[in-house]
Amino acid sequence: MSDKQADKLASLFDAQQAAPINPDAKQQAINAAMQAFAAAQPHQAAEADAASATGQTNVNHGPLPWWQKIKQRFFQGFASSSRPTDNNNGRRNSMTQQLIWRYGAGATFACVLMLAILIGVKPTDFDDNNIALQPVEIAERGTALSPEKVEADALTEQRGKQQAGENTPPLNPVEIKEQALAENFGASAPATTALQLKKEARFVTESAKRSANAMGVPTISRKPIASLDSVGNSAGITNTDITGTQAPEEGRDDFTRVEENSVKRVVDEPVSTFSIDVDTASYAFVRRQLNHGVLPQKDAVRIEEMINYFDYQYPLPESKRQPFSTQVVVSESPWKPGNQLVHIGIKGYELERKQLPKSNLVFLLDVSGSMNSRDKLPLVKQSMALLLDQLNPQDTVAIAVYAGAAGTVLAPTPAKEKQKILDAMNGLNAGGSTAGAQGIQLAYQLAQTHFDKQAVNRVILATDGDFNVGITNPDELKSYVERKRESGVFLSVLGFGQGNYHDHLMQQLAQNGNGIAAYIDTLSEAQKVLVEEATSSLFPIAKDVKVQVEFNPATVSEYRLIGYETRKLNREDFNNDKVDAGDIGAGHTVTAIYEITPSQSDSKLIDESRYAGNRSQDDNKAQNAQQHEEFGFVKLRYKLPQESTSKLINQAIPAKTSMSEQSPLMQQEIQFATAVAGFAQLLKGGKYLADWTYDDAITLALANRGEDVFGYRNEFVQLIRKAKIAK
Amino acid sequence: MEQEQSLIKAAQAGDQNAFGQLLNARYDTIYRFALKWCGSVSDAEDITQQACIKLGKGIGQYRGDAAFTTWLYRLVINCAKDWQRTQARHSSDDRESLAVTAYESAALEVGGVTGEETSGHAAEAALYLQQVLQQVSKLGEGFKETLVLVFGEGMNHAEAAEVLGIKESTVSWRIHQVRKHLNLLNAEGGNYE
Repeated sequence: MSDKQADKLASLFDAQQAAPINPDAKQQAINAAMQAFAAAQPHQAAEADAASATGQTNVNHGPLPWWQKIKQRFFQGFASSSRPTDNNNGRRNSMTQQLIWRYGAGATFACVLMLAILIGVKPTDFDDNNIALQPVEIAERGTALSPEKVEADALTEQRGKQQAGENTPPLNPVEIKEQALAENFGASAPATTALQLKKEARFVTESAKRSANAMGVPTISRKPIASLDSVGNSAGITNTDITGTQAPEEGRDDFTRVEENSVKRVVDEPVSTFSIDVDTASYAFVRRQLNHGVLPQKDAVRIEEMINYFDYQYPLPESKRQPFSTQVVVSESPWKPGNQLVHIGIKGYELERKQLPKSNLVFLLDVSGSMNSRDKLPLVKQSMALLLDQLNPQDTVAIAVYAGAAGTVLAPTPAKEKQKILDAMNGLNAGGSTAGAQGIQLAYQLAQTHFDKQAVNRVILATDGDFNVGITNPDELKSYVERKRESGVFLSVLGFGQGNYHDHLMQQLAQNGNGIAAYIDTLSEAQKVLVEEATSSLFPIAKDVKVQVEFNPATVSEYRLIGYETRKLNREDFNNDKVDAGDIGAGHTVTAIYEITPSQSDSKLIDESRYAGNRSQDDNKAQNAQQHEEFGFVKLRYKLPQESTSKLINQAIPAKTSMSEQSPLMQQEIQFATAVAGFAQLLKGGKYLADWTYDDAITLALANRGEDVFGYRNEFVQLIRKAKIAK
Repeated sequence: MEQEQSLIKAAQAGDQNAFGQLLNARYDTIYRFALKWCGSVSDAEDITQQACIKLGKGIGQYRGDAAFTTWLYRLVINCAKDWQRTQARHSSDDRESLAVTAYESAALEVGGVTGEETSGHAAEAALYLQQVLQQVSKLGEGFKETLVLVFGEGMNHAEAAEVLGIKESTVSWRIHQVRKHLNLLNAEGGNYE
């Protein structure tokens, strides 16, 4: 492109720069922003809470602020799901409505009128891309729902109820009520497609449940009549139940952008330092997306979390004086001939049940309105019940909840009074907005009251990650959690649900609180995290575990750390005990893989530096020959849980492929880890994998599944197949 | 500028009037950026509205460690990318027709306000621009925003680098890649020029 062309390009932009601005759109956007601004002010939120007590809402009643001069105009903007111009608008604007809706949510539950408006303004809550279209009559959406119309709909609710009663006699009263709402809505927008009706009906069902909760009517979760899915088990949640009914909605899931690690020249940067990571949240999230036939966002894929999801059978540590064993194995790279993979495997020792320290646990459960779906609060309750079974009788459990306000549901209670704990948990209902920060403060207070220096004191937070009231500043929240960690109370985070998941915040909180961050999408994942891995999730055996690898420029020309992008440390941080790093629980396995290019190989990506290259080689020749037998040197630092000074482990990396020296079991584990690493990289775009494909990943994983008692590895192979056909 | 600083301070302290003034002053910048990004008036209005709401929610998070303009651009780029993601999930047919829609809507909506002659020019420009941007997006992540900031907003490489939180050399490299790529297209008789 010549400069003339650059000018042309600039002039294209200039043409747009001159475009006129629609004053109506401007006013509308400013109004909306004003609403958001007002809702974000702490004192305004408090007013909203106060208003809810008197049945008022800050959205529709009360004195109108100056910017909201014309009520009609406000609703024109937000009843846009029925804007006739563009059929994408509904979806995009529903984000707007969600925002408004959330801030109003605290006030809505006591107010039936508001509920009716909600039905009107937030009809397209669910994604429409992944459900097969039924051959139904497709017509344009109905005309705009004005507030008056919505009110009228609310008034006709009774009539709708009767109609439903006549049409579907065999259903119980609660079901009739839900159907009535669904039908009522259908009647108010007769031109809606069956597909849309289904989604809307599902939303209405939840609204109905909420209103019923507010009125003290017991409800059971069930699907509305318009649902195209089979009717699920209403009492318990099964895997297929959740994954089959929850439409993927990735719009608001929040992931931080991370650049994949690049290839480094050993001459330029011989030392690589990172903190270990035992989280598995990324794998569960990726699985969920793939089960919906959608490829996950690249930023949702954290390679190390995918690799560490699986439990590799590395040899156990020989003595307990050193809490974990380290294995260093060099294998051929399957995706790039000439390159080799250096596996660093860490295995923590297993605690026997009678050795387990006492636990002082506080469950902090999010019961905000956003948790009110079947894969959230009900799954949280079931998960916590599972965890309860793993506790010893003398352990204590407390429950705190947060929504519009934080509260204690159960004072610290010994685990042997299991029924009391279960009763408290089952009495919880979702409703209100999320005051996560106050909840955390309360939970820490509870943990502090039963603080036991010998015990594991831990707050377990279960949430969909929506913190919108209280300390909303993530940095403040993080430093709070960090201070509490120093006082001996740790934090683990269990993420639930989708569509609103704030991955980054959850990760950061868990990292700062010396805990795990796990994402629970199904009951079987809860089983894995809270039952099979209960000891590793709850009992740390080493903290601040850092790895530093120095590569030998005489034998290695380039290297690349696969994954761990978010865990990078500075070289000097390794020996600085003040710098926080990851923790290892009892029985945890952690694997890190480097891809290296030996100096004799011609598979290098980076050319030799013309001026600096030869000198270093000459230096190395002068050194003793032993150096040529090593690719590099691994150093590992860790602290015992109660200590503040670190210990060091050293191990050399032999400069040859050491796979053949390993036991068949070890070879299999290494190969499987390689398959997972390869698959995760493919999901991130596979820029270093040449022409290695999903099929190669399947072959490698299939050959190395091993015993696979729990079926996780088979599931992994299925996931690769799903990724192959996913869009 | 100083006046704006005091508006920001007041808005952060909860002053709605100050926030309203701030938004009123900044709306046009945000809208024009969004229009350059997506090429369609109604989409640009949607992106801008999202950005305004985000600003309303997040003004308290502005700490003054970067210029307000820089911070604002980051916010708007995020909104634009969110919009992009929702677009990406529509079928490829939709995407093919995107440029045409951009052309039509620009002709329609611009025409109403500024008369026939300008409308033709602006609409044509919008169409070309969307085609160029589509090509540029194919180069990889980060290229589109770099191009819009440098050519559309007239930033120098250092300013764009600050907004994007990357090195200046990366911006220069990306711009170089874009130039190389568009040149190539041109030589092959592609759709630019």
